[in-house]
Amino acid sequence: MAVDETSKIILGNKRFQGSINLDGSEKVVLEQTVKEQVEYERYLDVNLQEVFDYERQKSTTFRPITKFSMIFKNAYSGVTSYFPYYNYLYYSNLIENTQNSVCFPNAPISWSGFPQYTEFDFIRNDNSLYGYTSGPVNHQLFVNKSASTYNWNHYISYAFDNDFSKVLYLNDPEKIITWFWVAGDGIPFYILDVNDDFIVFKCPIKHGLAVSNFVELTITYNGNNYFEVSSLGGTGYGSDEYIFSIDNVGYLGATFSVGVTGTLKKVLNLDNISETTSKYYVKIHKIISNPQDATLVNSGYEQSIYNIIKQKELVYSGGTPLQALSPPSCPRTSVLEGSQNYTLSFNIDFDINNLIDNQKRPVTELFFTTVWKGYFGWTNKLKEGFAFNGYLDGPNPNWWWDTTNNLSDSTLSFSSYFPNNPTGLFPCFYTNDLISGDTIEGDFCEWNDYEQLERVISKKIHKFTFNQNYFVPSNPSPPNNKYGYYYYPHSELKIRDYSPYVEEADALNVINIPSYAFYSNLSDGFRFRDIYPYGYIDSDGFGVDYPFTNGTHYPFKNTIFRVFSEGIGVQNITTIEDPLIDECE
Amino acid sequence: MSVNKYKLLVPTDDRQVDIPIEIKWDFTDRDQAIDVYQAGVVQDIIGAPSDFELVRFSHNSYLSANTNSQVTKIFYEFYFFDTGQTLSNSASWINSYLTEGFSSLDVYSYSKPFTKSFFKLDFYDKKEDSDQTIYFTVILPVQQGYFDIVTISNYLQNVQIRKPKMGLDFVGDKEGFFIYWLRDTGYIDLDEFYMSAKFFDARLGIFVRMMNTTQSNFPGNYYNFDSDNYFYYKMKLDYTNKTYEVFSTLTNNRVGDEINPIRWYEYVNP
Repeated sequence: MAVDETSKIILGNKRFQGSINLDGSEKVVLEQTVKEQVEYERYLDVNLQEVFDYERQKSTTFRPITKFSMIFKNAYSGVTSYFPYYNYLYYSNLIENTQNSVCFPNAPISWSGFPQYTEFDFIRNDNSLYGYTSGPVNHQLFVNKSASTYNWNHYISYAFDNDFSKVLYLNDPEKIITWFWVAGDGIPFYILDVNDDFIVFKCPIKHGLAVSNFVELTITYNGNNYFEVSSLGGTGYGSDEYIFSIDNVGYLGATFSVGVTGTLKKVLNLDNISETTSKYYVKIHKIISNPQDATLVNSGYEQSIYNIIKQKELVYSGGTPLQALSPPSCPRTSVLEGSQNYTLSFNIDFDINNLIDNQKRPVTELFFTTVWKGYFGWTNKLKEGFAFNGYLDGPNPNWWWDTTNNLSDSTLSFSSYFPNNPTGLFPCFYTNDLISGDTIEGDFCEWNDYEQLERVISKKIHKFTFNQNYFVPSNPSPPNNKYGYYYYPHSELKIRDYSPYVEEADALNVINIPSYAFYSNLSDGFRFRDIYPYGYIDSDGFGVDYPFTNGTHYPFKNTIFRVFSEGIGVQNITTIEDPLIDECE
Repeated sequence: MSVNKYKLLVPTDDRQVDIPIEIKWDFTDRDQAIDVYQAGVVQDIIGAPSDFELVRFSHNSYLSANTNSQVTKIFYEFYFFDTGQTLSNSASWINSYLTEGFSSLDVYSYSKPFTKSFFKLDFYDKKEDSDQTIYFTVILPVQQGYFDIVTISNYLQNVQIRKPKMGLDFVGDKEGFFIYWLRDTGYIDLDEFYMSAKFFDARLGIFVRMMNTTQSNFPGNYYNFDSDNYFYYKMKLDYTNKTYEVFSTLTNNRVGDEINPIRWYEYVNP
C-alpha cells in the first residue's frame, strides 16, 4: 500500500470549526506486485541423472550398429568352362576333370565344383588370384577398397510409404490353386469345408483374425459380404493362424462351396466399417545412406558356430615344371563355407527428426538393408518376392521365379560389363548401388487404424540364380527356373517403441495428443499408442534402452543373416532364435 | 396503439457503451519458461555433450604406376643402419631386420624378441618438438610385410623371412592402415598431423628413432640438421571422404605409393 507521508490522522472535530467527530475508515488495498522467490529456484542442485535423461530424450541422432552372423550353405555345384572361374573352384570332380584335360588337351573342358565361399562372403579377400582378380589378363581387376562392396551392399532405410497396388502371386501346389491379387485386396483364401455348422476357410498365409472379428470377403451372399468369425483353427497344431470358420446359418446356392477362392480383409466392428477395416499394403523403404557410408569389418575373431569347410586342391608333381591337378599350377586351399562374423557401422549420423514413417508417425524403426550386388558376374539379375513365394512347387522352384515372369523382376536397377578376359563373351550383371533417397520395397503388411497396429504378413525376399552363360548348376531344376539363393533384405532395428495399449483421448479434456493420433467416430475421440521414452522398458518388455553417449543413441542388434538355398535334398542350416512370444503364450 | 410521452431521437454522434470485463490474468506457462531457462543455465554450466566418437580414415586412392588404376595401398619402408659402415654412405641403411641385429633364424622362426618388436608411429599436432602434443599412435607389427629370401642352413632350402617393407591396404596386411580419429571437429579441430617413427627392438629393449632421410645427406656434421623437418612426415585428414594422405615435410609432395613409399631411416646418435 502506498502511504502519503505528509498526511496526518486527526480527530474529526480538529479538522475545522464546527466539525464533529465521526467514525471513519481507511480502505487498505491488498495489492502485491512482487512475489517472494522460492528458495529451490535460486539454489538448484544439478542432477546428473536428470541432465542425462534430458539430453537423451531430446536427441534425435542415431548411430546404428549390427553384428552380422552370416549363415550360408553352399548348395549348388556346377560346371564351368570359363577359365577364370574354373581355376578357382572348390572342385567336386577333380580327378576326372584332370584326366579329360590331359587326354584331350585341345578339347574344351568343363570343370566341376562349387563357387568358393568368397563369392558370397560379405568381404572378399581374393585380391591376388592370378588370371581372376589380378594379372594382365583377368576377369576383373580387384580394387581393395571395394572388398566389402563387391558381393553385398549395406544401407540404412526406413519405411516411409505404402504401395496398395503391388501385384502379388501365391500358389498352393497341393490344392492346385493360384491367386493373383493386389496387396490392397487383403489376404487370399479358399473354402476348405462346408458342413451343417460351419463354413471353413483356409488362408495360405497367416490371416491375423480373432474370434468375433468380421471378415470382408470378395464373395457376396445376398448383397452381404461381411461375416463374423466364429472359430479358429482346424485339426493341425497351429492351424488357428491359417484356418477360420463362420457359422453356416443355412446359406443356399454355390456361394460357399468347397474350393471357392477370394481375398478377405479383417473388420473389427460393423458399426463403423471404414474405421475398423484393416488395410493391406507393401511397405516402401527410403534409403538414407550411401554405400560408402557403411563400414564393414571383421567382428574381431568372432565366428559363427559352424565350421569352416575347406579342402586342399591336389597337386600332381610328376611333370616338369610342377603341374597341378587343379588348373593353376600351384597348390591351394579352397573354401566352401566360412564362418566369419562382421560388424556393420556407419560413418555418418542418422537424424530422425522430421522423418515420418509409412503411417505418418514419427520413425521408430530403422532397417539394415542388405542387397546382393554380385559384381563378379556369377549371378543373374535379382528377382523379388515374398516369403510365401519361397516354397517349392513340387521339385521345382515356385513359378513366380520363372525368368519369363516379369512381375518378379527386381525394381532395382542393374548394369553389366564384359570381363577383361577375352573368353568371357557374355555380359556379367550386377545390382547398381543405391544412394540416399532411393526407394526399395519392403514387407507385405496389415494396418488397422482402430488398433493402431501394423503386422508383417510376409517378409520381402530377394533371390539370385547363377548366370548359366558362365556357370551351369548341376541341379535338376528347369533351365528357366533354376534353384537359387534367397535372403531377407531388411532387418529391423527398433529405435523407439510404442505402448502395447491404445490410448483414447477426448480433445477437450486431454492435452498433448500426438499429431499422429487417429480420430475415431466410433469411440468419439482420438486413438493412438504412446511412444515410450528412451530408456524405459515396461513389464512386458516393450521399450528400448540403448547406450546414449556423445549426445547420440547407439542402437545395436545382432543380425543372423541367412542366405537360403532351395531345392530338394538341400539342407539349410537351421538356427534357433529366442522367440519373442512362444506357443505357450 | 399505445402512446407515451417518450420519443426516440436519432443521435447526431457516435455512441458507445462501456462494458467492463474484469480480467485477472497471469503469464501462462511461466513455470515452463523457468524450466527452459533452468535447462539453459545448467547447460551453460556443465556444457553440451561433446562428441568423442571415432571414425575410420583410410588411405586415399592414387593412380598406381604399376597397374594404371586407382589403388589405396600405402607403403612403408624402414631402413636400419649397418654398424659396420659409415654415416657418409647412404647405402649403409638397409631394408632388413638383419641389419638391426636379428638373425635370419630369429625372423624366420618368429622368435619372441622379434615378434615382440614393433614400429611405433606417433602423430603430433606440430613438428616443433618443444611445443607439440602427441594425439595418437599407430603400431605396425613386424609380422606383416614383404619377404626376403635367405639361407638359414646349408642343409635346407632357402626360406622367406619378413623384411621391414609393408604394403597396407583394405585386404591383406592392414594393421596400421586405418587411422581412427574423432569424427567431429568440435572438440579438437585438427586435420594435419606430423608423424614420427620409432622401432622398438625387443631384443635389446630399446627404441630406435627413425628419420625421413639418411644422415649421409648432412656432410660435415651428421648430427646438425633441422629436426623439425627430418623427423616427420605430414599426414592430412579429409573429414568429408574419411581418407588421409601423407606428405613429405621436405618437398610437400605426396608419398606412400609404390614409387615414393614412406621411407624411415634409423637415426644414429653421436
